[in-house]
Amino acid sequence: MINAIAALIVCAAVLYAAFAGAGPLPALGPAFNPVTGAWTMAADAANSSQSQTLRLAGLEKPVNVTLEPDGTSHIVAQTDHDLFLATGYMHARFRLFQMDLLRRQGEGRLSEVVGKAALDSDRFELQLGLLRTAQAEWNAASSRSRLAGIAYAQGVNDRISEAETNHQLPAMFALLGYQPKPWTPVDSLIVKGDMTQTLNFTDTPLVMALLEKSLGADLTSQWFATLPPNPQSPYDPGPYPPAVAPAPIATLSQVSDSEAVAAADAYQRLAALPAGLIATGGDSNNWAVAESRSASGGALMAGDPHLHLTLPAIWYQLSWDSPSYHVSGVSIPGTPAVLIGHNQHISWSLTDAQNQQTFFYLEHEDSAHPGRYLWKGAWKSYNNVSYDIPVLGGPTEHLTVKLSVHGPVITERGQTTSVWWAGNIPSQDLDVLLGIDQAGNYQQFRDALRGWYSPTHNFVYADDHGNIGLISAGYYPQVAAGQPWLPMPGTGEDDVVGTIPFDAIPQAYNPPDGILWSANQRQVTADYPYYIGTTSNFFEPPYRAEEIHHMLSPGTKLSAADMMAMQTDTRDYLASEIVPVLLQAIPGSAEKDLLASWDYRMEINSPAATIWWTFWQAYLASTFDSYWHSRDVKVARSEVNNALGQDLEAWTLGDPNNAVFKYGGSSNTAVDVMRLAFTSTVSTLTKQLGSDPSTWTWGQVHQRVIENLAQVKGLDYGPRPDGGDAYTPLAAPDFPSSHGPSWRMVVDWGAGTFQAIYPGGQSENPASTWYSDRVDTWFNGKYAAMLTADAAAKAGGAKTWSMQP
Amino acid sequence: MRALAGVILAAIVSIAGVLAGAWWAPFVAGLAIGFVQPRARFAVPAGAIVGLLAWALPLAALQIQYGAGSAAESLAAIMGFGHLGAIPIVLTCTVGLLLGLTGAWLGSAARSLAYPAISR
Repeated sequence: MINAIAALIVCAAVLYAAFAGAGPLPALGPAFNPVTGAWTMAADAANSSQSQTLRLAGLEKPVNVTLEPDGTSHIVAQTDHDLFLATGYMHARFRLFQMDLLRRQGEGRLSEVVGKAALDSDRFELQLGLLRTAQAEWNAASSRSRLAGIAYAQGVNDRISEAETNHQLPAMFALLGYQPKPWTPVDSLIVKGDMTQTLNFTDTPLVMALLEKSLGADLTSQWFATLPPNPQSPYDPGPYPPAVAPAPIATLSQVSDSEAVAAADAYQRLAALPAGLIATGGDSNNWAVAESRSASGGALMAGDPHLHLTLPAIWYQLSWDSPSYHVSGVSIPGTPAVLIGHNQHISWSLTDAQNQQTFFYLEHEDSAHPGRYLWKGAWKSYNNVSYDIPVLGGPTEHLTVKLSVHGPVITERGQTTSVWWAGNIPSQDLDVLLGIDQAGNYQQFRDALRGWYSPTHNFVYADDHGNIGLISAGYYPQVAAGQPWLPMPGTGEDDVVGTIPFDAIPQAYNPPDGILWSANQRQVTADYPYYIGTTSNFFEPPYRAEEIHHMLSPGTKLSAADMMAMQTDTRDYLASEIVPVLLQAIPGSAEKDLLASWDYRMEINSPAATIWWTFWQAYLASTFDSYWHSRDVKVARSEVNNALGQDLEAWTLGDPNNAVFKYGGSSNTAVDVMRLAFTSTVSTLTKQLGSDPSTWTWGQVHQRVIENLAQVKGLDYGPRPDGGDAYTPLAAPDFPSSHGPSWRMVVDWGAGTFQAIYPGGQSENPASTWYSDRVDTWFNGKYAAMLTADAAAKAGGAKTWSMQP
Repeated sequence: MRALAGVILAAIVSIAGVLAGAWWAPFVAGLAIGFVQPRARFAVPAGAIVGLLAWALPLAALQIQYGAGSAAESLAAIMGFGHLGAIPIVLTCTVGLLLGLTGAWLGSAARSLAYPAISR
């Protein structure tokens, strides 16, 4: 009997672990079964790189896909419908888990598969309402978007069915113990919404409010001025047409009032969310050179959008050939569009425009009108909506959110605050992207962008006739009154009343000097007649833009090779301004000698780069930390370093006696504080790296890592030393840096060459050679040719996938 | 001889089950071995071997056909063991072994309750 009881207990334990898992372990049976579990990644890795014939439900005619040796996919379809279907299949074949994560993030369904650790994210997303917006967008979708969305979803679902039948679902599904639900067109729009949120949902007005509360109105307005204290390298210098009444913004009425959005508990809650949900500033570069400045005689264009660098990457490289589309570039898995690339006549890339698209409103309430708020003289009721959030291993979470006319209520502490966000306006961005994919000239390109709302992007353009353009497309909300950089009264007087008319937004076409560039800088001068955001945190400092402009400006002819060199340029423009002043301020030393002979390049073997960067941080700390500590500022100084740094730059170069240096009644000037900061720098680096400054190389302290999307450290690439910093064209902020050029593309219309690279691989399968095979090439600053389907088929090593109805 | 034949049959059925996606087949096979075989000292090791074979042979086939090294390293990384690919291999084999072993043990114990006089 004892033996039987013991057997029963041990059996129960083993079967429980096998069927249900234990603690952090997945259900061991289905997860590690060598035939249908996670081990199938080995078969997937081997099979995906072989030629094959596939039968896909829903295809109208056969489709041919050529895969280059690096997995770049060239889809040739006889109908547009089949093109989108095949794209959905290819995305799902290589990125299904990534796609599922992205849609779950936007839908607030991560907790269902990963447990309560994702609850904050899910609550926030359901309140913000990406799902609601995506549903409204789909309900109003154009016929072109509907065709793409439905066919694409069919292709994804074909792959899900195939993978389930053949036990080929990505390993992470087996390890997490769930199956993907069918894909819908709304899911594609949610994935697009994820990107919009990451790039432009900001908490800056909340930050400004906290700063004003602690630092006071005077210092806040001085240090975080609406207009920047330094030149901004605008690409659109004017003259500008006089301001006219704002154009109407597409109404939110498409969104059912019964559906919910809300956000979190204001700044603290937003700050506590996982990285990536709130825009914290993005770094990207793009530029174009007209044929008059091009060595090849045709227009040049370069683009490198800077994003969180992950494995798998956000991009999937492909080309399309169908009756209506002949496009090559990168797509986001989950969406049926080529976001950046070229077609037969035009090329384009984008950077984040970073104008203000998020506004906070303080709702007026009183005890005599419970559950209501005052708006335009009338008491209105909030819409209360409830959601259920399934949680793995726990009870379902119930969430009730409130919605005012401005948007979701994000906190009810102190004063009820709601948020107006342009990303909540249903848009037709998918149709815009498909329109760009089909555009044949600047007029068509620009017309397509009229429908682009959010996030506002700087779309650079070049074509086969030598033309170049740059247009910062999207909504630029205008308020009737008030200070939009702070939370505003919600009683109606300060509401968003429209946007800058499309013809008046920043843009340029074929400028006289033949160059255009953007790097997230403010696009216009102080003369621009509309409010587009403040320097406090909306626009990036102009240093990358200045450096790019500096490199483009000489009168010499430029080539594609020059474009590539610029994309990996490590010259720090701010250093080139400040270091000469610093050298005047400090006494002689070995460290000073290193700086004096420095070329301002943040190269991994440069000790001067380490000294400069450490000095700049020390200089910021020496100047501002006393204020921060004495006034108990609740915002981390590092969060506003971009604004403070531009102030410090301006004062150092033009106002060294500014009162900011005289904290506590001292008579210090910029020179005194620089000396203090430099002494601190040498002391810090001596402790950290030893007494010989010649060994303080940048690569010792500055590394780059490309992180696994599922946050599996063992599947990261790196960290490894890399050059650049936050202010160099080769953007590499943070330590280690996990943010930077997510795709580099260089187009030379004169030579007919299109070259690109991204740091990752086509497959999310870590056992595949296509998981991270492009990273070394990217690290080394090399590119691969963007081949046509025909050229790819003729190249050695290509594989063919024949898709049959 | 009949006992050995029975074990071989159980192994074949288990492997077929695992190949068909029924990863729990070794447990059922072990249960049957334990219940049919009167000697527990034979049944339990036999069940363990059947379980081990049922999971290890498909894994070996995977290695021969596709190469499992990269997948093993990836699984180790996901499990937090760096790139020690041997760990998921051992874990996989252990799961199969335990399924067969516990199935046989339970079957044998059940037999001893049902037929106490002829169970050893």
